[in-house]
Amino acid sequence: MVKFLKPNKAVIILQGRYAGRKAVIVKHFDDGTRDRPYGHCLVAGIKKYPSKVIKKDSAKKTAKKSRVKCFIKLVNYQHLMPTRYTLDVDLKDVVATDSLATKDKKITACKETKAKFEERFKTGKNRWFFTKLRDSSRLMLLNQVEWPCSRSGTRVFLVLDPDWLTVD
Amino acid sequence: MVTAKKTKKTHESINNRLALVMKSGKYTLGYKTVLKSLRSYKGKLILLSNNCPPLRKSEIEYYAMLAKVGVHHYNGNNVDLGTACGKYLRVSCLSIVDAGDSDIIKTVPGDN
Repeated sequence: MVKFLKPNKAVIILQGRYAGRKAVIVKHFDDGTRDRPYGHCLVAGIKKYPSKVIKKDSAKKTAKKSRVKCFIKLVNYQHLMPTRYTLDVDLKDVVATDSLATKDKKITACKETKAKFEERFKTGKNRWFFTKLRDSSRLMLLNQVEWPCSRSGTRVFLVLDPDWLTVD
Repeated sequence: MVTAKKTKKTHESINNRLALVMKSGKYTLGYKTVLKSLRSYKGKLILLSNNCPPLRKSEIEYYAMLAKVGVHHYNGNNVDLGTACGKYLRVSCLSIVDAGDSDIIKTVPGDN
């Protein structure tokens, strides 16, 4: 067995308000804590994806379109879908469990992760992470891979890895 | 790619090995516990019946690929797999946590 629920792993949130959003594991608690006696992890994810930037856009417009809105959350492993992707962003010092204690700590942590995510998005790397899950061209190829998210009612089309899933 | 047709002999040997695991080892039955065992890195071999729903099958295979755990597609449906486990219920997916006296973990993924 190889541990795959490790920091920097990209995951997809399956339940709750952020169902269908991509996130990165910052800290994992495999055996849980006293408050949460189950395997869970601290994730930093994207609340609002950056829009598509085209060459025609002015500098002001690209700046506006490249904005990312983040969230920080403690999520049960059961409500995550791990992927084979990773995101090498150092969020250990920015996000900690005590960031969720008070609202202003949470806001400052979110602002700093937002800065890091935006910086990474502008370099053009980790493109998968910054794209919304509903990618229509891939949907047509893999529309059988559908993931119903029961509680939130959203239907997440899980486009994991088109090269891996072979359509027979 | 030539897919080797599973002979009756190898099928029986898997059943024998599975029976030994049921007697002497640790295992979990069912989709939820299979995923739990993969997430907690306890699962060592996953067996899926042939009528396991394709979405569920791909999900378990994806988790197993991440965890580098072998997946064996059992040659039989969930009724057969349940019978092979010695249970009076249907088993679509099962996870072997500890093989006990059996050598199923070493031999079975090679056959697949």
